[in-house]
Amino acid sequence: MAIAARFHDGLVAEVEAVELEYQAMGAVGTLVIRRSGDGAELGRWPANTLYALHGRRDELRLGANGQPAGARVVVEGQHDVARVLATLPVLTEKRRQEAGRQVRLAVTATVALAAVIAAYLYGVPLLASRIVGMVPAAWEASLGETVAGQMEASLGESGGLQLCDANPDSLANRAIARFGAEALAGSGSPFDLDIRVVRSDIPNAFALPGGQVFFFSSLLEQAQTQDEFAGVLAHEIGHVAYRHGMEQLISTAGTGALIGFILGDMTGLSVAAGLGATMIDARFSRDAERQADAFAAQVAQRLDFNPAGLADLINRVGADDEFARALALLNTHPLTEDRKAALEILSQQRPTGLEPPFTAAEWRAIRSMCGATPAAEPRTKTK
Amino acid sequence: MVWGGTEEKPVPVKFTGMRRELGGMLLRGYLLLLPTIGLYRFWLTAWKRRFYWSHTEIAGDPLEYTGHAMQLLLGFLMALAVFVPLYGLFFYLSTLSSQAAIVGYGGVGVLLWFLTGYAIYRARDFRLSRTLWRGIRCDQGGSAWNYAFRRFFWSLLVIVTAGLAYPFMSANLWAYRYRNSWYGDRQFGFVGSWRQLARPFYLAYGIVVVIGAIGLGLAAPMGALDSPPNPAGFPPLLVAALLIGLVFLYYRSRELTEMFSSVRLGGAALTVKVRARGLVWQHALFGLGLVGSYILLAIGGVVVLGIVAGTAFAGGQFDLDIFMQHMQGSLITLLAIIFGYLLILAAFSLMVELFLGLGLWTLVARGATITGLNSLRTVRARDEDKALAGEGLADALNVGAY
Repeated sequence: MAIAARFHDGLVAEVEAVELEYQAMGAVGTLVIRRSGDGAELGRWPANTLYALHGRRDELRLGANGQPAGARVVVEGQHDVARVLATLPVLTEKRRQEAGRQVRLAVTATVALAAVIAAYLYGVPLLASRIVGMVPAAWEASLGETVAGQMEASLGESGGLQLCDANPDSLANRAIARFGAEALAGSGSPFDLDIRVVRSDIPNAFALPGGQVFFFSSLLEQAQTQDEFAGVLAHEIGHVAYRHGMEQLISTAGTGALIGFILGDMTGLSVAAGLGATMIDARFSRDAERQADAFAAQVAQRLDFNPAGLADLINRVGADDEFARALALLNTHPLTEDRKAALEILSQQRPTGLEPPFTAAEWRAIRSMCGATPAAEPRTKTK
Repeated sequence: MVWGGTEEKPVPVKFTGMRRELGGMLLRGYLLLLPTIGLYRFWLTAWKRRFYWSHTEIAGDPLEYTGHAMQLLLGFLMALAVFVPLYGLFFYLSTLSSQAAIVGYGGVGVLLWFLTGYAIYRARDFRLSRTLWRGIRCDQGGSAWNYAFRRFFWSLLVIVTAGLAYPFMSANLWAYRYRNSWYGDRQFGFVGSWRQLARPFYLAYGIVVVIGAIGLGLAAPMGALDSPPNPAGFPPLLVAALLIGLVFLYYRSRELTEMFSSVRLGGAALTVKVRARGLVWQHALFGLGLVGSYILLAIGGVVVLGIVAGTAFAGGQFDLDIFMQHMQGSLITLLAIIFGYLLILAAFSLMVELFLGLGLWTLVARGATITGLNSLRTVRARDEDKALAGEGLADALNVGAY
């Protein structure tokens, strides 16, 4: 018995009520489409050219290769659809093949994307340092100036970053500059160091692209020994030597692009983009911190200070709390205790008989350059 | 011939999609986004469109969406070719001096705004050229660059005139879109003009200004605008914002009604009635759905935390230290944060799709009737348009609609 259907020939926007008939002649059957009523034949579609398109439930939309792209036979009703599918197993088979093809495409694309992400995670630290090598030193230095200017502007409420000791020829400044030059010697860095000890209530020290290093007075005040001060300073000089600031800029840009690709939002404004980028960049940043720590340990092979003091100072100003530990993957710095352990291993076999980084008089001058009392008040760990 | 009668009755458009079906499809899609690192979104978009198209029925024949996920994926990859240089430019600008960077960012922002117009038009081209009805494909001509320029300069004018030029811009862009749309070999027409929008728009504009002024006038003496703001002054602002939202929905319903009802296709004419209360109702449902799903998520979150870190809640009190000890394993905490965030995001986008997306489509489709449908029987198919691969920029710029 013929099955009722609707027919579009794909040439004219007309709809015909038709009756479908299946003729099994030879190896390949044929779907015969006849107009209802007068029985005029509107088309003969070989069964092996047929394919099913997506339609509603209980609606079967058929197209055929070799016919106009829009030509359709539409069967409606659960019963009739089941009959057609039973008569033409090729439809189910092709649908299954198509589903399999889509799954393979999705899997391939996913694997490709996963490979890109993996290559990114492992490649960027390598690549970034290569790219940094191509960045002209003068450009990086001017970039550092820009950043410093922006920072001064944002901290500008308290009159910018005021130098503790404006005289570059003072005992303290000369000692610091000498230490910097010795630490950077042999690293092949194209930059001239500019170490500035500035007044700030924030216990912090950092290096900007292009060789500027800032050491805040609050951190200096909390340093109890030369080891601690020299350790932190050598660490920051390590950032300069490795051009980490520039590297970080490059990898941040790359991460933003990658996350945007994954989320399909190239503007990167969503929280997910921010969180994902933070996670990846934090990973790169932790690597950079470890590298700078190792640099400090190398400097300590030439000058007599214990680089582990750097971890002591950091621990004093801000011990890792439970929260930092819990969120260690989002943290830009390794946990202090891990760093200390690593530094202690690195500083185990230091040669003896080295010069201390600062003489006693120099260290006193450094301690008092920001106006604090030179006598180190005993401090207990606050946290 | 099935449709023998010559007397023409307006044919209502039917929409048979159920919220449950779309919801199930979306949930399944969101789950698949996880293992595919987000790539399944292209397949999900294709499925979603098949749902909308196939449930929209005109005179017994539903629309058919013939696009594939792979085309969207390819388009997205091509859009990256535009974005990577832009990214490089962005990066370079961020390293320049402050003023240069600000000027540069502004320039890139303007460029993106311009490109958005191009992207919108191309995306519409893609959707139309993959829309089939009665075996005949729709299409869009015109130039995406032309559209981008129009939209860009109109929007500048709208900004300069504090919004007063909007009806002109809107009518102009609607006209450009529809006058360049095709069904087979027949071109769409558009008979609307800014005059139809002027009255509702300037009325809404005036009301918004008055409500805003009253809201600010009431809130300012109560200290809502001081710094720090005084929360006592917020209620008038909130009420004003709510009323402005209602006025906005009123205008939106008028614009949709007037503009869609100006669409012609040869002898066929579209009439659409979108009622403001329908839009308001959909938004109210959306608000309720959002609040409901977030309450559900919050309860679920507490239950999960209670199981994972039960001792932290011992004795009816929350102990942060014990809680943090439970969270020690960095990876687990991080996964919990990410998963929680994804759930919140998924709930939001689900509610947007289920209530705002589906709601608007339903309102427009069910409010639509078509006269002169018989005149379309002589429309013939045009050659295949295979030039387009995906929507590219629209995906990258996140301006896709449906």
